[in-house]
Amino acid sequence: MIQYNCDPPPKVAEGYLERREQEGYMKLRIKMIKTDVIIIGGGATGTGVARDLALRGIDHCLLEKKDFAAGATGACHGLLHSGGRYAVNDPEAARECISENQILRKIGKKCVEFTEGLFVRLPGDTLEYRDDFLESCHRTGISTEIFSASKALGLVPNLNPALEEAVKVPDCSIDPFRLCMLNAESSSLRGGKILTHHKVIEVIKERGNCVGVKAQEQFSGEIIEIRGKVIINASGAWGSIVAKMSGSDVPMNLSKGSLIIANHRLTSMVINRLRPASNGDIIVPNETVSLAGTTSIHVNDPENLSISPEEIGLITSEASQMVPEFDSVRLIRSYTGVRPLLKGDSHSDDDRAISRGFRIIDHKNGMFSIMGGKLTTYRLMAEKMTDRIMEHFGINVPCTTAEKPLEGQNQLSGYPVSNRIEKLDDIICECELVTRKDVEKVIDSVGTKYIGDIQHRTRLGMGPCQGGFCTYRALGMMQEKGKVTSGESIRVLREFLDRRYRGIRPVLWGDQMREEQLVEGIYLGILGLADK
Amino acid sequence: MKYDVVIIGGGMTGLISSIYLSSKGLKTAVVSKGDPVCSISSGCIDVAGDFQGIPDDHPYTMAGREKVRSALMYFKEIMKDAGLPYWGEVFENRSIYTPIAKKRETCLVPFSMKNADGAKGKSLHIISFQGMKDFFPGYFKEDTSDFNCSLFDAGTLTTVGIATKFDDPAFREQFILWLKECRIQEEFIGIPAVLGTKNPQKLIDQIELVTGCKVFEIPTLPPSMPGLRLFRKLKSYSSLQGVDFFWGHGISEITEEENLVTSLIIDQPGRPTIIEGRSFILTTGSFVSGGLFAEKESIRETVFNLPVSIPPGKPRLNDSFFDTEQPLGRAGIRVSSHYQPVDSPWKNIFVAGSILENSQIMKYHCGHGLAIVTGLDAAENCEEYLK
Ligand SMILES: Cc1cc2nc3c(=O)[nH]c(=O)nc-3n(C[C@H](O)[C@H](O)[C@H](O)COP(=O)(O)OP(=O)(O)OC[C@H]3O[C@@H](n4cnc5c(N)ncnc54)[C@H](O)[C@@H]3O)c2cc1C
Ligand SMILES: Cc1cc2nc3c(=O)[nH]c(=O)nc-3n(C[C@H](O)[C@H](O)[C@H](O)COP(=O)(O)OP(=O)(O)OC[C@H]3O[C@@H](n4cnc5c(N)ncnc54)[C@H](O)[C@@H]3O)c2cc1C
Repeated sequence: MIQYNCDPPPKVAEGYLERREQEGYMKLRIKMIKTDVIIIGGGATGTGVARDLALRGIDHCLLEKKDFAAGATGACHGLLHSGGRYAVNDPEAARECISENQILRKIGKKCVEFTEGLFVRLPGDTLEYRDDFLESCHRTGISTEIFSASKALGLVPNLNPALEEAVKVPDCSIDPFRLCMLNAESSSLRGGKILTHHKVIEVIKERGNCVGVKAQEQFSGEIIEIRGKVIINASGAWGSIVAKMSGSDVPMNLSKGSLIIANHRLTSMVINRLRPASNGDIIVPNETVSLAGTTSIHVNDPENLSISPEEIGLITSEASQMVPEFDSVRLIRSYTGVRPLLKGDSHSDDDRAISRGFRIIDHKNGMFSIMGGKLTTYRLMAEKMTDRIMEHFGINVPCTTAEKPLEGQNQLSGYPVSNRIEKLDDIICECELVTRKDVEKVIDSVGTKYIGDIQHRTRLGMGPCQGGFCTYRALGMMQEKGKVTSGESIRVLREFLDRRYRGIRPVLWGDQMREEQLVEGIYLGILGLADK
Repeated sequence: MKYDVVIIGGGMTGLISSIYLSSKGLKTAVVSKGDPVCSISSGCIDVAGDFQGIPDDHPYTMAGREKVRSALMYFKEIMKDAGLPYWGEVFENRSIYTPIAKKRETCLVPFSMKNADGAKGKSLHIISFQGMKDFFPGYFKEDTSDFNCSLFDAGTLTTVGIATKFDDPAFREQFILWLKECRIQEEFIGIPAVLGTKNPQKLIDQIELVTGCKVFEIPTLPPSMPGLRLFRKLKSYSSLQGVDFFWGHGISEITEEENLVTSLIIDQPGRPTIIEGRSFILTTGSFVSGGLFAEKESIRETVFNLPVSIPPGKPRLNDSFFDTEQPLGRAGIRVSSHYQPVDSPWKNIFVAGSILENSQIMKYHCGHGLAIVTGLDAAENCEEYLK
């Protein structure tokens, strides 16, 4: 499932540090971890590297400042590219995509839904591009099949009936959160240390070389020190900020992309526009909803993102050209993410034209940065990165991530979503049918203080009401289990509501507006959260 | 069917109007698409957060302080008469506990919440129910220094489920027996508001008797019994007064003659009903109930398509969820001092309740209070018009 970005890092509990100090906790007892490789970033790239290192027997520790997939990975479109989108302009990227697409369908069955995709040609889209597209796909090894308008409408009845024709490609829908979680699982099973909610705040250097990092637990404020031989900077859009901590430079070109979520699944296949890549030209079915996007706007800061009404207008109008229902459907949320693109790979002004290829930078001080790329090619990126580390250590163990299926998948329900609806007794989240047991399981196994951890792992709060009811309940359960105090949970509730609101505000009209006034009445009225 | 007054919208506003008008001998009907916000509210009557700070353009100012007072007194009388009495002084707030143990200021409360006001800082025992979905005693832990909690197994998990069980005398007896065993030492007992679907006063008296504690109910998330009790009571009271109800359907058409609306056609599938009226009161509420509808660019009133005012030149919504000064909170119908919509072609329609312009319910904590005051005031104006 896609999780929605743009939440600020949770703040350290008020007065917590002081309290702990009084309680005599902090007496210079900084926790210390020793390892070989430190990975910064728990997106697809970072968790991918962790898995690869684990399979090759290298000790490592991954630090992520929020939860898995908190960056671009969780804020992306969830499209496992066939490569079709890049075939014409960037055949190299297209080749990588189709090869990785086939690998992930094999190793990650429970993360990938083989929806297939259609590139639809609408009146006005040229035949030249179509021919070019077919030719390029053929050259890069992407299978295609041409459908007449009526055949395409038979497959996807919601398509614009005016379409001229459609080309089928093996595009898929992918669940980026599960993907990261399962990669991390492979690592944990082999002794890898995975620390979420730990933000790297300092790189420790000795004689010019990076020898470790300091990381702060985001709830308690506790600082731990991790010592290692090599640091891998897989922090995506935060790449230059992290590199700077080691005195290095990673020139990046941050490109913000926004998406909207419709409250139900409008198409069963991925829908692309058969024309050169542009705004709002992709619709991806994801679990019970549909995602449409995206835009491409240059930004300087990977955080504090906002979404303008113009962006929403643009995406809706483009998406509704392919699937007219997008114009009237109830939108439940918008979200935005930042593409970690590298500077200097193109001279064009259009961020979309900058290569989606990736690069490994050896900072020659014990830190490597792995930047750029796509979710689709994360495994390949991890493989290349790990190859470099092995070379650095002078060890020769080959990569096996392309053959071994992701571990832990047998516990997941997979597709279709209806598989999940077995037990209806004690439902905590009515929109997504999440039960008390599901939530308790996560609280017990992850031991979390974070409402987000529960949401990502159960889909709690992801439906039309967007956590309006169930968040209060999940926090109540965390209290029952002694994970948070009542003061903490009220603070978390406030943060959650503000974050939720920021995602919903850009699409507030129609029925979603009704729902919002209800949520306002509940939280500001009945619960009395308006006054601090 | 021809009525003196047809009220559109069966919320607090519409129900109060209907009770007043029928008591004046006018033949009254209420047409409502669905259950109102009242049925999911805490059941407490918020009148205003601060009685000094009401601005000039607020409906309260239009009604005047004296009307606010008399309307709320009227409400109290009705509720007493109906058998669900309310407690509190009109211009004085008192506090209740919310489900997250916050103290919340409100004005009139059902008797079952009367004791919450004195509980601050005192020893408190929370009684809840095993596995209950919408109430978590843990929220109360920090607020009270001296806190204990006991869980009763009601055999069901939902608010309405448990409340329904409390309607059964045998279940109540079992509960009281269990309660005796608990030997509660604290001064106060707080219980989520599930003590029956009807007035729980007798049961509360009984609990106080066996425990020696002061007892109060704590409102829960929707569905919330105190809100439901209030709504059901008002509706049945109104019905007993002779008001006719047309519930569950919207309005598909209105007919007019010159500058009068003459009838409504209710949207019953296959069997459209025509309701004629000499006058109409629109109390269809705000967005949440569908009285107003937000299009992407504009805002629409859904029955008469009356013009909707909204502060010009501002985004509809501010940045923070906790900002209670949302421009959208001002959106609504502008009316004359007789509650007649301005810029409307008809002279026999009146508008009241949360659909009014500048009501800003969140900012002024004036939900049900505004509904009661404007509902009664508009009804009086309508009565005057009919004379
Ligand atoms: C709108 C949008 C749509 C996209 N759609 C697709 C698509 O459909 N298909 C596709 O293949 N690709 C897509 N992409 C590209 C893809 O999402 C990214 O290329 C990919 O997810 C990058 O993964 P990553 O792990 O490198 O970076 P991220 O996922 O950004 O991970 C970096 C992580 O580092 C963490 N971090 C940062 N600083 C610190 C610190 N100091 N300490 C600890 N942790 C830190 C962050 O919290 C974050 O979780 C899209 C991108 C965007 C923006
Ligand atoms: C969750 C929540 C909790 C609240 N809690 C409290 C509280 O505890 N205390 C308090 O004082 N205030 C509270 N408020 C505010 C308060 O409930 C409302 O402001 C007030 O009750 C509004 O009453 P109303 O009669 O104006 O409208 P509503 O209660 O909204 O009633 C409007 C009625 O009109 C009907 N209707 C709508 N359109 C049509 C149509 N086209 N045709 C026919 N019928 C139609 C609807 O179905 C509805 O029954 C709360 C609000 C919310 C959202």
